Order: sequence, then C-alpha cells, then structure tokens
Amino acid sequence: MAAVTALSMSVTAFADEPYNSYNYDSWEDAVPSQSAYMVETTITGAEMGLSRLRDPSDPLYVSDTAPLSLNGARDIFIYEEDKELWVADANNNRILVLGLDDYQLKACYTGVKGSSVDNFLNPFGIFVNVSESLGQKVVYIADTDNSRIVKATIKDEKTLECVREYTKPTDSIYTVQSFNPKKLVVDKSETVYTVVNSVNTGSAMFSREGKFLGFFGANRVEVTAAVIAQRIWRMIASEEQLAGMKRNVPIEYANFDIDLDGFIYTVTEQKTSTDAVKKLNPAGYNIWNNARGNEYKFGDLQGQLWDPVTNKNFQTRLTDIDISKEGLINVLDFETGRVFQYDKECNLICIFGSKTSTSDQRGSMLNPNAVESCGKRVFVVDGSKNDITVFIETQFGKYVHAAFALYDEGRYVEAKSEWEEVIKRDGGYTYAYIGLGKAALNEEHFSKALKYFKTAYDQDDYDKAFKYAREDFLREHFTLIIIIIAVLIVLLIVKSILKKKGIKLIKRRKKPLAEAIPALFKKKKEKEGE
Amino acid sequence: MYEFTQMGWLKHVIFHPVEGFEDLRWKKQGSLKIAFVIVFLLFVVMVADRQLTGFQFNHAYVKVFNVVPLLVQSVVYFFTWVIGNWALCTLFDGEGTLKKICVYSAYALVPYIVCSAISIFISNFIVSEEVIWMSAIYYLGLGWSVVLMIQAMKAAHQYSFGKTLVSMFFTLVAMLLILFLAILLLSLFQQVYAFGYSVYTEIAYRIRG
Repeated sequence: MAAVTALSMSVTAFADEPYNSYNYDSWEDAVPSQSAYMVETTITGAEMGLSRLRDPSDPLYVSDTAPLSLNGARDIFIYEEDKELWVADANNNRILVLGLDDYQLKACYTGVKGSSVDNFLNPFGIFVNVSESLGQKVVYIADTDNSRIVKATIKDEKTLECVREYTKPTDSIYTVQSFNPKKLVVDKSETVYTVVNSVNTGSAMFSREGKFLGFFGANRVEVTAAVIAQRIWRMIASEEQLAGMKRNVPIEYANFDIDLDGFIYTVTEQKTSTDAVKKLNPAGYNIWNNARGNEYKFGDLQGQLWDPVTNKNFQTRLTDIDISKEGLINVLDFETGRVFQYDKECNLICIFGSKTSTSDQRGSMLNPNAVESCGKRVFVVDGSKNDITVFIETQFGKYVHAAFALYDEGRYVEAKSEWEEVIKRDGGYTYAYIGLGKAALNEEHFSKALKYFKTAYDQDDYDKAFKYAREDFLREHFTLIIIIIAVLIVLLIVKSILKKKGIKLIKRRKKPLAEAIPALFKKKKEKEGE
Repeated sequence: MYEFTQMGWLKHVIFHPVEGFEDLRWKKQGSLKIAFVIVFLLFVVMVADRQLTGFQFNHAYVKVFNVVPLLVQSVVYFFTWVIGNWALCTLFDGEGTLKKICVYSAYALVPYIVCSAISIFISNFIVSEEVIWMSAIYYLGLGWSVVLMIQAMKAAHQYSFGKTLVSMFFTLVAMLLILFLAILLLSLFQQVYAFGYSVYTEIAYRIRG
C-alpha cells in the first residue's frame, strides 16, 4: 500500500518549477525553501510576433529573410516609463523593442543612420534613458564588433539617428589593441561607462562630448599563495626570466548595472573572494568591502558543489547583475542558471531558476546571458534557447519582499505581520525570525526576542537582546538581589566574629567529624607501615 | 609535617606549584582513583564547553553532536600523553613510574578544569563586551595548568628545568607517533576485515549457487 502511494506520488506531474527552491541558513547550509518566484511565461520569437518582419504589408517589414527567432541575445533593458523591453539580439545584428505588457514587437532596428557604419555587428549591450541635454529619449548601443558605442535618438520604429559615436580612445593610457565594448551603463550626467573586452583596468569612461575620461573601478588582484610565490620569484629573477613570466593582473568584470542613486554595481565571472560583486561609489571605491570587517557573500556559498541534475561539480560564475527600482539586487549565475536575489544590505532573499541537463522545461536555462527586473517580474534572457523567461513573484515572494522592504527601513514592528505570513509558508526562513526578534526587541519583549534570535541562530543580535534582557532582569529583581547580598554579608561578619571569639555554634557535629578523618588516616598509615 | 588527606594533598599540590609535587613525591602520596576522576571531569568539562556555553559565545555546529571527538580530545589524549611520557623517560633517564606520571599529570589538570567550568558558567550571564572576563579566567586556568604540568614532570622524573621542557616536547612528538600508528593499525585492520568479508561472501555464493 505504502509502495503504491509512493509510486503514484512520484509520477504525479506538477506544473511546477523544474528545480527545488532552496535558501541558506545561518550555518551556510542549503535548506529547502518555498519558491519566491515562479515561471509566468517564456517569450520566443513566435510569441513576439517576429513574423511581422517578413510581412511586406507590415510597417515593420525588414526583408523576406529576416530571422524569426532570437539568436544569441546578450542583453535586455527595461525602459519602464514607456513600458518597453529592449533586447540586444546580438547574432542577428539587430535591436528589438517589445511592449512590456503583451511582449509584442513594437520596433526593430538593424542599424543607425548618420554614423560611420550603417548596420550593427553583434550588438552586445543596450541602455536607454532620457538625455537632459537633448530633452528626449536616447539609446546607447554597444556595437561590439564594429568597435564603437552609438548614442542615438529614435526617429521612428525602424530608424535610429546617430547623435554621437564613441570609438577606440587614442590616449596612451588605453593600451589594448582592440576596442570591443560589451556592456554599458550611463549615469545622470550622461557619462558612458563601458566594459570592454580584455580590458582589466576597469570600465572605460566617456564624457557626454565623447572624450575618453579614463578607467573606473578596477578589480584587485586576489592574493593567493601563487601570487605571493610569484612576487618572491620576481625579486630574484633576471630580466629575461621576468619577461617570460605571467603577470598577475586583476580579472575583468563581466557586467554592471547602475541604481537610481548613481552607484554602479559590478559582477565578476570568475571565482574571486575579493571582488565577485562590488558596489562602487562615484569615486570608484567599493562600498561592500570584506576587508573592512563585513562579510558580503554572493552566489552559492559552498564553492564546489555537486549538482544532482547535471551530475557535475560547478563553481558559481556570476554573469549579470540587476538593481531593481526597489533596491533589490538580482545576480545571475551563468554556471547554474540561478538568480540570487538580495536586499539592499546583501541579505539573501531567494534563489530561483536552474540549469538542467536538457533545459527543455520552463524555468531552466541553457545559456543565461542577462537578467533584468521590473516590478514583480524578473526577466532572464537565454542565448541558446533564444527565449526570454519571465518569472513572477509568488504569494510567498510577495510577503518576503514586503517584509524586507519594511525591515530594511528599520520598521521592524510593522514588518511583523509580513514575517509571520512568511513563516506560515516557510518555517525555516532565517530572516523571518531575525525580523520578528528585532520587532520583539523594539517592543521590549526581551525573552521573546531571545527566543527568536536563538531560532535564527543570530548570535550578534542575541547578544544585544541579552544585554537588555539582563538589565531588565536586574532592575525588576533589584530589591531581592540586594537583600540576598546583605544577608550573605551579615552572615559572613557574624561568622568571623564568632570565630574570633572561639564560639562554635555547631559543636556536636563538627567535633566527631574533625576527629574522625585524621583517625581514619592514622589507621591507614599504620596498615601501610606494616 | 604534611599530614594531609588525599584531597588535602591535591589542594596542597595545586596551591604550591613550586614545591608541591616534590612534597607529593617525597611523601609517596597521590591517588590513582582521584586521577581517573579528574580525567573523567576533563571529559565532562569538554562536553559542557560545547553544550552549556552561553548562546552568544558558542560557535559549535549544533546540528549534530558527536561525543567521540570530545572523548578523544580528553581521555585518549591524556593517556597517550602518559604513555608517551613514560616511554620517553626510559630514554631520558627519568625516575617516574607509569602510575606517578598518570597521577601527577592528572593533578596538574585541575586548575584548567575548574577555570573552564567557571568560564562556562559565567558565559551564560555576560554579553560579548565583557568576554574578557571569561577568557581571562580560562587562560588563567590554562597557564596555571601548564606551570603545574612542568613542575609535575620535573618532580616525577627528577629532571632539571631545561630537560623537562625538552622531554615534554618530545612527549608531544611521541603522542603524534602513537596516534599515527594507531590510525594506521585501525585502517589496516579494516582492510583485513574487508578482505576477509569478501572472501566469505565469495565462498558463500559459490556454496549456494
């Protein structure tokens, strides 16, 4: 009977994600969790209506051979003001614009008018915003294989008009032969930051006028045993040997994003403990610096993991980062196809998405290239499956996000009801207990707070709560404690006085005992003596 | 002079680090029973350290509790220390017997055990700003025990101070060797067992089929 039940359970098909949601607990062990996001839909070329590009009667007509699907899409950008989803369809050499509500094709650009080269060649990156100097919407495109960045205004749904081209800097500080910009962001003063292929000194900066300004926010070299050993060898090596040695250079970062306050967030693909994810202030200084005593961790925490689905070890390889309007940080791991979502303080909210051996299910990726978020949706672009997966937050995710939003503002008590809803759905959600503990602490329910912090295994907050709880205890029982101490002191004084005067209160008991022990000993001694 | 009970001797030894063990040796005192109780208490204190330390100071992985490593860290280490030291004293012309080494070493551990217990106790009442009190008591006990251990070995073997230190260092080396050999032996026996078992299954299959 039991076997039959188990069997029937195992063959039941769920319209569920093709992965088990998990989260990390206080010991950094992976524990099962609820799904905070689920797949809403996937958008392929057919769903976008790319066939319109082949229809001569359609205003969007391009040619009879226009590709009907995405091909190696590299980047997406959501322009919320006009409800547009921009896709850099790299291998098809075009930029697509979709409506954010219906995911239908709105515009298609294969090139830009009035520039040195008319057609795009592998455009890898895209950025859209409103230019204050021009007073209208402008598009920035990293036209990678044409070695340029194009800044263009939108004329109609098929033509872009070039405003400025950013090409390879001629300054001597730019030492790399090629100029292949991959990703770009633009800040409010219209300074263009771009990640250039094989440039490891940070992102290249261009001013609004197109002048090269230098590099921004380079990674550091991670200090490993090999690096130290090489440093020592360099001291004793000859000139020829030095010339043949590999140089220790920092790893270039893979991608970045800019938030509403102008902070730039970078991700580095390779495993580094130093600079995997950085939050850079305008001076290029990393705010999330582990060297200053904080611990910021991103991606999977256990390093080499065995993935039961693909049967292999893998290392986290963070390939894209997105900062939502609410300040949530989505980090996309190329290796596992997982999106890790963090709050403003880098607390892990949830993990979703996957990479399975076949990747034929919704929610599993093959070649995840970019992540972008908008409201309660998260979009992930796949460069091999040639689709866009749309994740939408679940009821659980809704409560978690609401709770985190209040929690990050320090409104612990208001977050209480949200955390309780979270716990109803996932009793192992660590931050819910921390949140409830902080709420209890604010309300001065100390023992309750201690209990919550203990459940969450949050030692630091427990310590703080314990301090208050102890004070509270002492204050409440102050008289009792003083009385006990006073009684003890009086007893000690009485005892010393009695001793001084040679008065023994418990005469009868003490005497035989005092005599008995030496007597016992003497007997033993005598025995030994014999 | 120096007529104490066994417990009195223990107290005398602990509070007279310089002459205590010499007196103990001179009077041919020291109880093996008490020594074993002390070693057991060492084990108890180690378990308490893991289980009863105040929550904010306890960094142990509480999801699993395995008593074997604690047993090894207390009882097994102690007896390897005793055996290692005893084995070395023949090479170093020491005068100690196995019983003496065992008893003296155990007596020397008492301050560590007591101070650990006290620090575990107060860890339940302090916050991390006051952790200095806890660690001060702990290290006081540890230091005291180290001093006593040196004196104990010196008295047991009638060594000079320098020779005591040298012999203690080599005792640590001997402990490593003993543990290494023990593990080697264990794994070898495991393989022998596995071999025997596979031969047995082979025969069993052949008989059956």
